[in-house]
Amino acid sequence: MRKILIVDDSTTIRKMVRASLRQLDDAEFVEAASGLAAIEQIALGPVALIVLDLNMPDMHGMDVLKFVRGHRASKDVPVMVLTTRGDDSSRDTALAAGATLYFTKPFTPPVLLAGAKDLLSGVGPQA
Amino acid sequence: MTDGQQAADRFILFTVAGTTYAVHSHDVHHMEMIEEVTRVPNAPPFVDGVVFSRGHVIPVVNLRARFGFERVPHTLRTRLVVVQAAAGRIVGLIADEAREFVVLPAHAIQPPHDTLAGLSGRYLQGIASVGDRMILVLNLERVLDFGAIAAAGEPPVADAASA
Amino acid sequence: MSPSELPAGDEPSSDFLNDYFAECDEHLMGVRRLLLRLEQSIGRGDINTSVLDELFRHFHSLKGISGMVELRPAEELSHRAEDYLRALRRHDVRLSPEGVNALFDATQLFEQVVNARRSGGVIPAIDAAVATIAGLVSARPADLAAPVPGAPAGAPLTPHWRFLFAPSRELVGRGIRVDLIRTRLTALGEIIHAAPHVTDSGMIAFEFIVATGADAETIAALQQDGVTAERLPDASVVSDPAAAVDPEWPAVGEPSPVAGSVAPSHVVRVDLTRLDDLMRNVGDLVISRARLGETLARIESHVPAGEWRAVQENALVIDRQLRTLREAIMRVRLVPIGEIFRRMPFVVRDLARETGKRVRLQLQGQSTEIDKFLIERMMDPVLHLVRNAVSHGIETADERVAAGKRPEATITLSASTAGEIVTLEVADDGRGIDVEAVRSRAAGAGLDPATAGDAAGLLELLCAPGFSTRDESDRASGRGVGMAVVKSTVEELGGVLRMETAAGAGTRFIVELPVTLAITDALIAKVGAETFAAPQAAVREVIAVPLSAIRALEQNEITPYRGGVLPLVRLSRLFGLADAARDTLHVLVVGTGGSALGLAVDRVVGQREIVVRAATDPLVKVAGISGATDLGDGRVVLIIDPAALARQMRGRPAGVVDGIAGGGGR
Repeated sequence: MRKILIVDDSTTIRKMVRASLRQLDDAEFVEAASGLAAIEQIALGPVALIVLDLNMPDMHGMDVLKFVRGHRASKDVPVMVLTTRGDDSSRDTALAAGATLYFTKPFTPPVLLAGAKDLLSGVGPQA
Repeated sequence: MTDGQQAADRFILFTVAGTTYAVHSHDVHHMEMIEEVTRVPNAPPFVDGVVFSRGHVIPVVNLRARFGFERVPHTLRTRLVVVQAAAGRIVGLIADEAREFVVLPAHAIQPPHDTLAGLSGRYLQGIASVGDRMILVLNLERVLDFGAIAAAGEPPVADAASA
Repeated sequence: MSPSELPAGDEPSSDFLNDYFAECDEHLMGVRRLLLRLEQSIGRGDINTSVLDELFRHFHSLKGISGMVELRPAEELSHRAEDYLRALRRHDVRLSPEGVNALFDATQLFEQVVNARRSGGVIPAIDAAVATIAGLVSARPADLAAPVPGAPAGAPLTPHWRFLFAPSRELVGRGIRVDLIRTRLTALGEIIHAAPHVTDSGMIAFEFIVATGADAETIAALQQDGVTAERLPDASVVSDPAAAVDPEWPAVGEPSPVAGSVAPSHVVRVDLTRLDDLMRNVGDLVISRARLGETLARIESHVPAGEWRAVQENALVIDRQLRTLREAIMRVRLVPIGEIFRRMPFVVRDLARETGKRVRLQLQGQSTEIDKFLIERMMDPVLHLVRNAVSHGIETADERVAAGKRPEATITLSASTAGEIVTLEVADDGRGIDVEAVRSRAAGAGLDPATAGDAAGLLELLCAPGFSTRDESDRASGRGVGMAVVKSTVEELGGVLRMETAAGAGTRFIVELPVTLAITDALIAKVGAETFAAPQAAVREVIAVPLSAIRALEQNEITPYRGGVLPLVRLSRLFGLADAARDTLHVLVVGTGGSALGLAVDRVVGQREIVVRAATDPLVKVAGISGATDLGDGRVVLIIDPAALARQMRGRPAGVVDGIAGGGGR
C-alpha cells in the first residue's frame, strides 16, 4: 500500500483531492490539516506521494517542503504543490525548493490524477 | 614616576577657614553640594547632623567646628566631602571649598612640628609645601574619632579655646 | 473537460458543497470578529498587522474553496477583499471608515451568495461591491509610514516554557497527534513558536515555546502524552512599541487597573488584593495586641507574681511572632516588575509618533520581583525616564542616519536582581547628555557648573531642584515629575540613582533598590522646628494634654491618665531643642502599665508608612534614636525609639536628662 499524504487546511479541498485521486492503485490516503500534522505523518512512516497546499496558517507550505527535502526519510518523496491563481512567484520558489509538480487552484481533477500517476510510476521530473 | 605611584600620591584639597587641607583621594568617595542637614540631638557638637548621600544616612562633620573655628552659613562653594573611614564608615565633611587634586609625593610631606602638637596637631598626618602654599594633610581617623577624644577626657569644645 | 471523479460542470457533488458551506461559516465567523477589531483601529496610522494577516488568510482560503466549488461570485468577492487587505498591509492605502464598511459589505454579500447557493435561490449581483473595493485599492497613496511590526510576542509577565512533542504510532493509537497537543498548549497560554525539530538521533519531533502561567503539575501531566517540558530563563523579549494597539489594552495615562481589566497575569492581581487584606489584618493584630497589653497592665496587680511572669512571656512571644508575620508578608509582597514595564510600549509609541522619531523598546527581566510598595512608587519615575529618553535623548531618524546610526533608536528597559539589590535600567542609544548645555543651564539656574565634571556631578545638576523649568518637565512627562523627584523617590526608597552617558552614543540611568524594605507605619511629629517619626506600633495612643493638667513631681512632670498618672518627657528638652510655647502638649503614650511614659511633642502632623534606614555611625549613635527615614523631600527624618527612651527614663535618677546638654547648632 502506498501512502498518499494530502496536506491542506481546507476540509473541502482535501476531500476534493482525495476524490480526484481515488482511482490510483494501491493507494492509502492520509490527510493533514496543518504543516505540523503533515510532518508528523512523515515521522510515523514512509510516504509515497505528498499533495501540498502552500498557503497554510500555522506553517507555510514552503517550510514544510523544505523540511521534507531536508529530512532523510522524505527527501526523495515526490511532492505536488498546490498554489493559488496568480501566485507565480510562489510557484517558482516552490520548484526551486524541490517541488516536483505544481498545480494552481482551482485544479482540474483529471490533470491532478494524471500527474499523480506519473510521479508514482517513476515517470516525469524527479525530486 | 609611574602611574601607580602617582595614584598613591594623589590628594584632594579643600579649604576650611582659609587653610588648605588634603585627604588621600582613595579615601574620598565623592563630593557633593550640601543640602538640608538634619540635626541629631545630643550628638557631638562638631557633628551638624545627618544627610542622605547616595542612599545612605551619613553623619556630617563640620570641619570648622572640629578645628575650632566659628561656623558660617553655606555658600555655593560649600562642599560635602564624603570620605571612607576605617571599618566601612562613611562620613561627610563640610568644607568651605573643595576643588583641586594634587600629587604629593611622600617625601614632600613633613611630619607635624612639635610646636603644632597638642590638639590641632593630633589631626594631622603631616604638612606639605607646594610653591608658597602650605597644605595640611589630615589624619582622617583622628578627625573622626570622637570616642578616643572623649575617653581622653577632653571635651571637643575645648578646641576653640586652645586654638 | 469533465472531471471523471467529480460531477460535471458547475455541480460539485453535495458532499463537497456541505463541506464548503461549513468551512465558509467558520471563516466568516472569524472575519466578522476581526473586522470589528479592525474597525476600532480606524483613524490610527498603524494597525495591528496580525489582524490584517488573519483577515487576509480567511479571505484567501474562502477564495480557494469558492474557486474549487466554482462559485464564481464568492471567489471574486474574496479575491477583491484579499487585494484590499494586501494593500493595507503594504501601506499602499490607509484604513478608513469607508474601507471597513466596504469590507463589512463584501462579507455580508459573500454570505448572501453562499446562502443563495445553499438554498438554490438567485445569486445577488456583486458588481457594485467589487467596484467599491477596487476603488479603495487604487485610492490615494500612502501618507503615513508608521512602523508596523507584529503584535507583542507573548505576555511579558508569564514564564516561557519549551515543550517537545515526539509523535509515535502508539500515541496516534491513543488519539494523540501534534494538532491535539497544539490545541492543548493553546489552552494553557500563548504559543509563541511552533516548529518541527529534528533530534540528534534524526527523529522528528515538534518544539513549542509557550508563554503560560500554568503550574508545574499541569505541565507535568503532559508528559504521559509524549510531551517533555522545560522552563526557559527570561531572555529579552523584544516588544515593539509601534506595534500595539490591541484595543483591549489600557490606554496610556490610565492608572493601573485593579480588577476587571485584561491583565497579563491574573494570579498577581488576586494576590495583591489579598495581600493588602493580609497586611491590614496584621496591622489590626498589632493594635489589638497593644490594647491587650494595656488591659494586662491594668490587671497586673490582681495577678500573682508567678502567673504574671507567664503572662508577660506570652505577650512577648506574641509580639515577636507578630513581627515575624509582618516581615514574612512583606516578603510576599514581591511582585514582578513587568507591572511597570507593561505600560511602556504604549508610552513610547505615542511619544515617538508625536515627536516623529522612530523608536523601538526592548524589555528585559520583566519577571524580576520587587516589593509592591516599590512598584507603586517607581511607576512615575520610570515613566519620566522613558519619556525623557524619547523626548531629549533620541535624535530624529535623519539625524541618526547622518550620524551613521540606524534610523530606528532603541530604548532598553531592564531589571535584574543580585542578592538584596534590584537594578532597573533605562538606556537609550541616542545622543547622550549635552554637557555644555547642562553647564550653561546650571550657571543660569544659580548652580555651580563645575559640578558637571563627571557623570555623578552631571546627574546631580540634572536632579537639582530648579534645574529644569516647570514647563519643560510638564512637556516631557505631562505630570510635572522632574528629575529631582525621580532622585528623591529613589532615595526615599532606600535606593541609589546613577547615570552613564557618552556623547553621540547614548545615556543610561541606573536605579538600585533594596529588594525588600523595612517598612513600618509611623506617626510623624514636630518638635520645635524638627520633624521626627515614631513607630506606630510602639505608640499606644496619642492624647492632648493642656498645660493646666501637668503637675510637677520632684523633677518630673506628670499628668492624670486613665485613673492613674502618666510621667511626661518633653522631647524638646530631651533633645535640646527650643521649647515652643504652647498651651497644649500632644503626647505619645508609649510603654504599658508601670513603664508607661508620655513623650510630649508639639503636634502630630500625620501618619504614614516609612522606609526604615539605619543610622549606625558612632558619631550619630544617640540614645533614643533608632534610625532614619526620608519623607520624600530628601531630608533625613530621625526615627525615635520610644522603648529605649522609656528604659532610659526608668533607669536614671529623677529629673536628669541624658546626653550632653545643648547639642551643636548650625
